[in-house]
Amino acid sequence: MPALPEYKTRELLANIGIPIVEGIFVAATSPIPRDLPEPPVFLKAQIPGATSRAKHGLVRRADTREGLLKDLKELLAPGPWGQAEGVLVAKGADLVGEYYAACTLDFGSAERLPSGILLFSAEGGSGVEERASTLVKIPFSLMDPPPTEHIAQQLQDVANPALVAEFLHGLMNTFNRYKLMVLETNPIGVLADGSVLAIDCRAEFESRAVSRADRQLFESAPGGGEQLTPLERLVEKINEADPSGTGFLRENREEAPEGAWRVATNLCGGGGKMLWEMTTGARRDIFTMNESDTSGGLSAFKSYRVLRAILSQQGAQVLLLTGSGMAFQSQHHLAAAVWKALRESPTPLPALLRFGGTDEDKARALFERVAADLPVPVKTYRAEIFPNAMVDDIADLALTSPMQVEPPPEPEGEPVFSVKVPPADFYFYPEKCDGDEEPECVSVCPTGFLEWNVEERNIQPKEGARCIGCLMCETASLLDGNGELRIRLAMPAEVD
Amino acid sequence: MSGILKYLVGIETPQTLVFGITGRQGRSRSRLMKKMGTRILAGVTPGKGGQEVDGVPVFNSAFEAREAFPELNCAVTYVPAGAIRKAALEAMDAGLKFLVLTADGVPTHDAAALKEHSVKTGCKFLGPNTVGMLDTDGYLFGLIGGSATWAKKNYLPGSVGVISRSGGLSQLLGAFHCRRNLPGPREDGTFGPLWGEDYPGITSVMCTGGDPIPGVTMLDAALAFQADPRTKVIVAYGETGTTQENDLAREIVAGRINKPMIVFLGGLFTKAGVAQSHAGAMIRNVEESYEAKRKALEDAGVIVVERPDAVFAQTAKALGLHA
Repeated sequence: MPALPEYKTRELLANIGIPIVEGIFVAATSPIPRDLPEPPVFLKAQIPGATSRAKHGLVRRADTREGLLKDLKELLAPGPWGQAEGVLVAKGADLVGEYYAACTLDFGSAERLPSGILLFSAEGGSGVEERASTLVKIPFSLMDPPPTEHIAQQLQDVANPALVAEFLHGLMNTFNRYKLMVLETNPIGVLADGSVLAIDCRAEFESRAVSRADRQLFESAPGGGEQLTPLERLVEKINEADPSGTGFLRENREEAPEGAWRVATNLCGGGGKMLWEMTTGARRDIFTMNESDTSGGLSAFKSYRVLRAILSQQGAQVLLLTGSGMAFQSQHHLAAAVWKALRESPTPLPALLRFGGTDEDKARALFERVAADLPVPVKTYRAEIFPNAMVDDIADLALTSPMQVEPPPEPEGEPVFSVKVPPADFYFYPEKCDGDEEPECVSVCPTGFLEWNVEERNIQPKEGARCIGCLMCETASLLDGNGELRIRLAMPAEVD
Repeated sequence: MSGILKYLVGIETPQTLVFGITGRQGRSRSRLMKKMGTRILAGVTPGKGGQEVDGVPVFNSAFEAREAFPELNCAVTYVPAGAIRKAALEAMDAGLKFLVLTADGVPTHDAAALKEHSVKTGCKFLGPNTVGMLDTDGYLFGLIGGSATWAKKNYLPGSVGVISRSGGLSQLLGAFHCRRNLPGPREDGTFGPLWGEDYPGITSVMCTGGDPIPGVTMLDAALAFQADPRTKVIVAYGETGTTQENDLAREIVAGRINKPMIVFLGGLFTKAGVAQSHAGAMIRNVEESYEAKRKALEDAGVIVVERPDAVFAQTAKALGLHA
């Protein structure tokens, strides 16, 4: 679960009006500001998800200006902890007591509805894990948190229940407002007048729950967060340009065991991933280069782009594609994307392809027609053949040395038009058409998006119709026409 | 045409409202649903009230639609994940009793809030992140099959009730039970036809979805199949994460479900705490692990297999079918 560093969590609390100890965030990428708080101060390196920061020297107290600047420079520089996003410089506070509070999500079960859970301890935050039995647990509605009076009634051993309940109510509201998975304030400081404020805080969140309006609040600063590989970043960009369905890629960070077959995978859906994992999880002779998921009704354009990323993984010896075996999305469209990727990639891989679901027969028929002209061998499987049988063919097909081929030239000239979503450039060469009749590449368009302009002997997009990025037009042009239509699917960045 | 909904939510005749009917997906899936026999009375797209989509009137809200068609009792949503909470709460408040939420990526908070509100309003929902459900009594909600031609060819009446946490495996487990002479691994280690022309067929396919907080759970679905006289065998795909399989096993032990049950359980190699492409498959405690679930199910007398194609030989055995 992504974690939010303290300085960002403070912003969430502040937006709801929860009192927080005074502090300033110094980003690693910015110059040190002049208006730093006067010592004594606490310096806290901001590393998402980091725990036991004090133990690792990532939280320091500075009593002088010189000490502050020295520690600040040290913590802002890369260290054994990696590169911090920055440092939070927080003022000290005269506390007379400490409390602990956190909100989490109870996912529920057959006996219990899901809900929020407020955890509270009047004995402070230090060592709270060991004192779990002393925690007060208050389930709360995610739609309508309880009023402060209700919370106050459940607080024992607290001298100032009304003020603490108000703080906790704000905590629940923050948790619900930003749909967080965890929100912790540890400790809550108690001041001499009985008021309370957050001294330290952290949050965990779900990326899917971050609204567009709040995106900036949850973005990591440069230099922090999980380091994505270039290919993973590329797939993120593919998703930004074409949000249809799911396009997911995660490369395996582990070293391949010596002698293991290195398999690049295009897994379609959670079911396909689970089949593959159940088949190969215990096998040392098969190394899965990457996880992937292309499903949920994505365009063939996007399948092609994700496949190009998958094929470009260095060291891969073979490509294996499987879904669960009964996809609702057209397998013919998927096959067109695979064919295009294999013929246009400079690093094609021998491929084991299992098509299952709508138009699966057409998908296999396509490869029966084109397989001989591809630079790599391809074997297709019926849906009744499961991955446990497919893996038996890996040794026969896998590359034994890296392969680099000259991809076909880019389409010549200027595109006749482009589509923004899913992004593509359409090229048309009327001189390759036979007569004035509507070419096959136009008539196969399943949405009527492509129109034949007989006067100009050219194609044009039909107003009001939509391109779903299925690749049927280019496939028909290459297989049943004279190559009169070409589609260029630019990659967001160079992958090859 | 009551089918499984009679036993799941007490609906005898599903009368359906489609959220997002004017969008590309809503439009095409509504055509598929109608061709499969689903009665679609109205659609909802805020701001597009007064329009029609293939003869179906569009309203601005579920309340307006229900006012025009008081017999509406079900809804399917083809709206983005971020809009699900609002649409589903509106449908519940408008008095609908069963919803199918297809979107992937619905925030877990939203699913939890919907579950909370569904109890207050007496409305059940399937999903989120589901391909929907299909009943061979003549209706479909969601995306199963992709096209009516394919769905009609692959999902045929019979006696197997299918429950699955994966969209693809919902469709696979349903369709393969309807194939004549289906080849597969047999118990004796050979590979070949598991049955002849007389295939098992299905009663209904219910995809409970891949998310951590499903509306209709595997247990809810199994209880409906237990009550459904058409269903002789229950087949399911379960995996790590959530307590669904554990809850199911507990109720079997308690005697509330006694029909033969076969489960393909995935996640043997899933590591605890690691995010999965099904958000609901992440293991958060020991009870949610593969080992705990397998033990609970097997102790309850459920046949657990590690490969989906191993399911079908067990179905044939339970129904006494031979090649």
